Amino acid sequence: MLKAINITKKFGALAAVNNLSFEVEDRQIFGIAGPNGAGKSTLYNLITGFYKYEGKIEFDGKNISGLPTHKIARLGISRTFQIPQIFESLTVEESVNIGGRFGSSGKFNTGYSDEMIAFTSLEQERSNKTNLLNLLGKKRLMIAAALATNPKILMVDEPMAGLNAMEIKEMTGLIKSINQDLKITVIIIEHFMKVLTELANPILVIENGKEICTGTPEEITSDPEVIACYLGDSHDT
Amino acid sequence: MNAKSMATILAVTYGFIGILPLFLGGSSIMMRILTMILIWSVVASCWDLIMGYAGIFSFGQVAFYVIGAYSSAILSVSLNVPPIIAIFMAGGITAIIGVIIGLPCLKLAGPYIALVTFAFQLALEPFLKGPMGKAIGSGGSRGIISVPPINLFGMSLSSSELIPFFYFTLVLTLICSAVIVLILKSHWGTAFLALKDSEDFAASLGVSAFKYKLLVFGITSFITGLFGALYVHYVGILSTRMLSMEVFTVLLIMIVVGGIGQYPGVVLGAVFTVTVNELLRPMGIYRLLIMGGLVVVVVLLLPDGVTGLIKKFTDYRQAKKESRVSIEKHESSV
Repeated sequence: MLKAINITKKFGALAAVNNLSFEVEDRQIFGIAGPNGAGKSTLYNLITGFYKYEGKIEFDGKNISGLPTHKIARLGISRTFQIPQIFESLTVEESVNIGGRFGSSGKFNTGYSDEMIAFTSLEQERSNKTNLLNLLGKKRLMIAAALATNPKILMVDEPMAGLNAMEIKEMTGLIKSINQDLKITVIIIEHFMKVLTELANPILVIENGKEICTGTPEEITSDPEVIACYLGDSHDT
Repeated sequence: MNAKSMATILAVTYGFIGILPLFLGGSSIMMRILTMILIWSVVASCWDLIMGYAGIFSFGQVAFYVIGAYSSAILSVSLNVPPIIAIFMAGGITAIIGVIIGLPCLKLAGPYIALVTFAFQLALEPFLKGPMGKAIGSGGSRGIISVPPINLFGMSLSSSELIPFFYFTLVLTLICSAVIVLILKSHWGTAFLALKDSEDFAASLGVSAFKYKLLVFGITSFITGLFGALYVHYVGILSTRMLSMEVFTVLLIMIVVGGIGQYPGVVLGAVFTVTVNELLRPMGIYRLLIMGGLVVVVVLLLPDGVTGLIKKFTDYRQAKKESRVSIEKHESSV
């Protein structure tokens, strides 16, 4: 469904993403892990067209390299951000409608946006200004607006960061439900390994912009290179 | 603020200004002040639209106003275009120039846009005074002296016919204000706000920053240029003195007093600022000093301008009413 072929992004001398190739299949929850600064968020920015890069990304067999962000969104790739982005001048409902009106390829359907507000349990807050939401609420809102674009792929960037145990449970349930009930392919970047291994299969582990390994949760957690990059080389000496 | 209360405030304000000539029509000074309130309220509204709503720090609004004035003057003087057509062509020319200035601004962040657009205003004066300006008919540093008045249905709307010109300006003001309200309350308006708050998130939801930013440059420069053109046919003479820092400052005061991004506060700001500015005329050089001091006071005490003050007042009354109701409920239940 989404195929990255030898993509490279250099910031000056630093290769944030280095000759990376991977393929996400329909209906998967595709996990991406790696230490801080490994290039995970940069990878999202490349897929969604925020930066130019070398190599090629194909979506449903179509080359999307070089397309502007808003066109990629309309093709069916939507995302959330690691640092919550909200529209503080707008209400919850207006924010979700932005996704519905501008991001979906068909005609704007308020009914679908309403469903997404209900799906993310934001019904109570729908007429509130978005800056009144707590962190979990802001994350739910980003997801609701992204879902309102009626995407084929939803890419979430560290959805668990800053949440407490209860909230993590809720967010995990929401992501599962997006994948199973709405039948949307999900790509997830997550530091919290327990959640990632529970949700995602397969998982791609990257370090310094390069692939270390890709595999099932069991495979990657037992991979010596993954252990080395998370715990350091001196671990077994 | 919803579209209905916006429309109500505008209708009351412009309605009040609209009936004043019945009482003040005999005084040419008062008629000039009323006319200038209308013109500045629209020019300032455009600035509020691009800066307060779209979040683009355009400091070139005075330049767009002057471009509209020069375009219409040159069209009607050098090319004999009837002024009533020339003012709309001038709006179109200004819109095209606005979009061209908007293009480099797409790649820039806030303060840099202010620098680019202000540099454009600074460059305009030597351009109009120099040989290039003279070649297109700007009249160099002398300016253009005999700009013909607008003719409408055989009536000449010049500075000697103050009342007809006032009502012509009022009609255009109402049309442009209605357009601004419609834009703010349409999905264009929400797109502007979304891009202002988070361009990245808006783009990832399918909003084209390119399209909507150029659109706001185009619309605001069209209306600003149109009113610059209207002004030049009214006063009949034109020079680069219109690009003065004073015009820029007074416009900025209107927005600050009205509240940035608090439309239609800026219209009230224009009424207030033009009136105070005129009342202070006898103060001579101290006028601008007092106006400057006023800005400092308003920014410190009323960050959202008069609109913020009105909101605070209505919120306070609402809270008082609610507390009274709850006390009554409490008492009746006891």
